[in-house]
Amino acid sequence: MNQLLAGLITGVLFGFLLQKSRVIRYDKQLGALRLQDMTIVKFMVASVLVGMIGVYLLQDLGLAKLSIKSTILGGNIIGGLIFGLGWGLIGYCPGTSMGALGEGRWDAIWGITGMLAGAALYAETYPLMKNTVLTWGDLGKITIPQLLGINHWPVIIVFIAVAILLLRWFEKKGL
Amino acid sequence: MKMEQGQWNPYVAGALSGLVIVGSVWLTGKFAGASTSFVRSAGMIEQFFSPERVSQMEYFLKEKPIVEWQWMFVLGIMIGSLVAALTSGSFKSQAVPDMWQAKFGPSVSKRGLVAFGGGLIAMYGARLADG
Repeated sequence: MNQLLAGLITGVLFGFLLQKSRVIRYDKQLGALRLQDMTIVKFMVASVLVGMIGVYLLQDLGLAKLSIKSTILGGNIIGGLIFGLGWGLIGYCPGTSMGALGEGRWDAIWGITGMLAGAALYAETYPLMKNTVLTWGDLGKITIPQLLGINHWPVIIVFIAVAILLLRWFEKKGL
Repeated sequence: MKMEQGQWNPYVAGALSGLVIVGSVWLTGKFAGASTSFVRSAGMIEQFFSPERVSQMEYFLKEKPIVEWQWMFVLGIMIGSLVAALTSGSFKSQAVPDMWQAKFGPSVSKRGLVAFGGGLIAMYGARLADG
């Protein structure tokens, strides 16, 4: 299939589910950051669990290859902290800002414009970052099973168990 | 957690979204993401004004200003959300989110300014973390 058409269809399905479960709302995103409403965390955990099992199955069957990004502690930690600060202000992440716009929440337009400005700014400063922050703690393309030197399925099972405990706790607390 | 009328259970919708991702990896080998597309779009806009400058910038050589799989995926998110909202009567033109208004008032420009600044900061961090 045409790559562009495949991307569009995948996005439409994904956006449909994001809207149906209301996870693209500012109120839901801030609700999670304020530890009052874990709807988006539930969505993400469910998505990650299914995705993790499915993608590793595909890999074991030789039907797909993992796409592993480099772990660079400097970039991941500092970038993550900066992202969190911005996320708390805008109340949308890059993907959900588009979904929010789709359901009429047009304050997302200012956010999307800001994101384009942020991307442009990053492009300007990339040579500087590449020689500083992105050299700090570069561990390469590592995975947890690799670090532990074991097969991925025990790690996946532990991950599922921890996720279920977390979700049960959310339900018990009414979050 | 309050459930709104017509809202799908987050576990069900999340699991289905996981299946969508697995299907995509299976059929096209593509993993979902969003923030790279903002880089490509910024490059396309800059290209309009100064194509030579963009063609020499290291980051735009790495993330080329073109429309590819992920760019269409991000566009699709907006369309999918629009379809879901229109077919369920939950489309709502709103300039200031409810929770924001309860805390900071109804000013559209105040919300717009913070959303712009927040978006700028969030995207810079997302790119630095490469995700």
